[in-house]
Amino acid sequence: MSLRLYAAFIYVFLYAPIALIVFFSFNAGRYAMDWQGFSLDWYGRAFTNPIVTKALVTSLMIAGSTAVIATVVGTLCALGLERMRGWLRQLFDALIYVAIMVPGVVIGISTLIAFVTVFDAVNPALEAVGMARLQMGLWTVIAAHVLFNLAVVVLIIRARLAGMDRSLVEASEDLYATPFATFRQVVLPALLPSILAGFLLSFTFSFEDFIIAFFVAGPNTTLPIYVFSSIRRGVTPEINAIGTAVLLTSLALLMLAQFLLRARARAL
Amino acid sequence: MSDNKIITPQKFLDELRRFQKGSVTRRHFLGVTGLGLATAVLGTAMPGLRPRKAYAALSGTVNLTTWPNYHNQENLDAFTKKTGVTINMNVFGSNEEMLAKLQAGSTGWDVFVPTNYTITTYKGLDLIEPLDLKLLPNYDPATQDQRFTSEGAVDGTVYAVPKDWGTTGFVINTKNVTQKPASWKEFWDLTKGPLTGRVMVHDYQLTTIGNALKYFGYSFNSNDEKQLGEAEKLMLEAKPHLFAINSDYQPSMRNGDAWMSVCWTGDGVQLKRDLPEMEYVIGKEGGEIWTDYFAIPKGAPNKEAAYALIDWLLTPEINAKEVQAHGYPSTDARTNKLVPKEMLENPILYPAADLLTNLEFGAAATLTNPLRAEIMARFKSA
Amino acid sequence: MAASLPSSRSKVVTTLLVAPAGLFFLFLLILPLIVVIIYSFGARAEAGGYAPAFTFDNYANLPARGQAFINTLTLAPLGTLLTVLFAYPLAYFLAVKANERLRTLLLVLVIVPFWTSQLLRYYAWIMILGSKGIPSWLAWIGMTDVRIINTPWAVLIGAVYGFLPLMVLPIYVSLEKLDKRLLEASADLGADAPRTFWQVTLPLSLPGVATGSMLVFILLMGEYILPQLLGGGKVFFIGNALVDLFLQSRNWPFGAAVSTALVAIMFVTIAVYMRFVLSRGDTRRAALV
Repeated sequence: MSLRLYAAFIYVFLYAPIALIVFFSFNAGRYAMDWQGFSLDWYGRAFTNPIVTKALVTSLMIAGSTAVIATVVGTLCALGLERMRGWLRQLFDALIYVAIMVPGVVIGISTLIAFVTVFDAVNPALEAVGMARLQMGLWTVIAAHVLFNLAVVVLIIRARLAGMDRSLVEASEDLYATPFATFRQVVLPALLPSILAGFLLSFTFSFEDFIIAFFVAGPNTTLPIYVFSSIRRGVTPEINAIGTAVLLTSLALLMLAQFLLRARARAL
Repeated sequence: MSDNKIITPQKFLDELRRFQKGSVTRRHFLGVTGLGLATAVLGTAMPGLRPRKAYAALSGTVNLTTWPNYHNQENLDAFTKKTGVTINMNVFGSNEEMLAKLQAGSTGWDVFVPTNYTITTYKGLDLIEPLDLKLLPNYDPATQDQRFTSEGAVDGTVYAVPKDWGTTGFVINTKNVTQKPASWKEFWDLTKGPLTGRVMVHDYQLTTIGNALKYFGYSFNSNDEKQLGEAEKLMLEAKPHLFAINSDYQPSMRNGDAWMSVCWTGDGVQLKRDLPEMEYVIGKEGGEIWTDYFAIPKGAPNKEAAYALIDWLLTPEINAKEVQAHGYPSTDARTNKLVPKEMLENPILYPAADLLTNLEFGAAATLTNPLRAEIMARFKSA
Repeated sequence: MAASLPSSRSKVVTTLLVAPAGLFFLFLLILPLIVVIIYSFGARAEAGGYAPAFTFDNYANLPARGQAFINTLTLAPLGTLLTVLFAYPLAYFLAVKANERLRTLLLVLVIVPFWTSQLLRYYAWIMILGSKGIPSWLAWIGMTDVRIINTPWAVLIGAVYGFLPLMVLPIYVSLEKLDKRLLEASADLGADAPRTFWQVTLPLSLPGVATGSMLVFILLMGEYILPQLLGGGKVFFIGNALVDLFLQSRNWPFGAAVSTALVAIMFVTIAVYMRFVLSRGDTRRAALV
């Protein structure tokens, strides 16, 4: 019971600042956290401001693609590493940690410089054979985000794989199941919670990242780039309105998913 | 000015002195110096009477890199409608970020908005195009104060055309600060004394070190080791008394945690508009005056559209709408003639002339001085 | 898993599994890291940026950021520890006690707050910790003149807030696989609840705790927005030093040297930490190196 109370306390801790953000999205004033009266204006402005809506769409596209790619590549990598030994395994282990250790600002600028160098070398050849030049764009942001997140996914999945009951896998193999069937029917269900966790974290990291996207986004603007650049000229409740809309949409989707799952459980 | 001659720096100063002595009115001063409205003569100011470039040849997208909330969306939409060129806008938080990104390469920008002190650096790094003023028929250097145009040129070649300007002073909450500070000396002394725990300075070496130098009456741009040493000592003494070192001072000023902060024009206007007890002060020893420019980076993919966009936004009637959207005074006398009187009479936007005399443009060398960077790092980590 | 396969085919499968990740590492990590290392031996160009050179000056100059290293190395482990303490009971609740039908929903709810703007969440905390927030409630109960905002304490609170999901998820993942029958068996054998926890639950969840702590520690070490906004710029982390070096003074070679040193320090810290965790817990093949 006391544990339940504690959990409730943590949810209050997590959502109290969010409640403030939602509250100030109805602010009539021009400044994000300074109450000047009630108004719905900022919702209208946010969704008619092309730079804001475009940034939101860009961010969702980047975060969605990043989460999918990082989860798939990371899961495969974690499974592969389980089967590996020797120096190559150690190299991969080290790279996974380094991928997380290098601070965003460093990975951002060095990735940009590396990209520009590669582009300059490759583009003349591409042009010669009539192909499009390589340029910075959404794909460069996604690639840079996947690097970090795939490392996170590998770590989380390994926390699950460690101490996973091998006897099930062995039993499955004894029953002459194909390796793929073993994977699909035994390994994958066991990994599912960690795959979900990795997906959620990847999406969140990518959706929140400012500093890496800042460097490698080329002429694109993501939502965090827009918000952080706004500091010097004053962050308006427009950002609160966008944040609230994203929040309410995700909560609504969650409730819907929960409802559908329940309905299905009842039908079975 | 009515005969369209460029005012010389000497004449500017003469007029200033006349104004300070009270022999001419504020309005006269603003007019003669091109800062105000009285001068811009109808003939030169009427847009539409001037030849305009045909926009027929334009197409594609133009990438505009600028500051947040710096343009009137209607103006941008009208440009797209007129030319068929879609505008892709990028926003930045600081000049250094712009510079770092442009320097790293592959930005794809067509037009960007640098501040005065970065222009020679861009030129030195060969990152910026010289401008062909013939392609900007609606820009008229004659209606600009030379103080502003000269910062946009390097060795006589124009690389950037001025857009708007502002100052860096400090803001006080008069409910809590009753001492009426008017100088940087008082600013730092109050920080170390009665206002301990209530003052903010920028997380920006140019203005924080510059205004600490002003305490001793040195130049805002001083790179003299001894003078910088004195400024550092003052900053380190003040550090334990500071509420924060943060260029994002509006939240704390608004919620009452901070009572005094180094402040840019625009923030001063916004704070005062919502909270009348806020006062914006330009230190009487001086400080910074700055100007933002339009420029075209080297390798801009759509240069024709870039010129067309700059020309469009500098057209006085369009620019006047821009000014009302971003809230900073235009450098163009023709535009100033078209903006509402309340703006021109706002002392935060158009400060009293005697205060302007001592202000200095930040210099490129000030910004890139490695010693200043180290002083700032020591100040912040102390 | 691979035992029943011919070894050459097994090798092909393994290679195919790790190849995509390997490509990412090659192009997006190794290549940029080569840039960083080359830069760290270079010189700062006149107007900032990088000029080719070969010098150890940047490394010799590292003590100029010594204080920032010290600040970070004190607050990052402390923040990590606090985050574990706050996150563990919640993860335990979610994995063991929570209603199974609500479990996934509750888990996702831990992360949903992080889909609003990070900057606004920090603004909200500036309000909550500012003089009109918690300190004014404390004044009610007689604790006057408490200042939280722009102190290291605010940074720590922000760290717990910001990194909680990152800690909860891995711990949850490792606890969730815990066979409840084990707990029942332990209880049947007469072990009381604390003993069951110490001897069964905790060791099993250790890989999750280790993963979570490591992620949080590493990210705190490179953090710069949190000390800037909740520490008021007066709490200077190595991440802030890096952002200044790359984006403000544009002394890229020195920035490259500082980041190389930072990664080296983290590597050593984590190696020591891992050894400690591995020797303590009975997690033979822990999830970590």
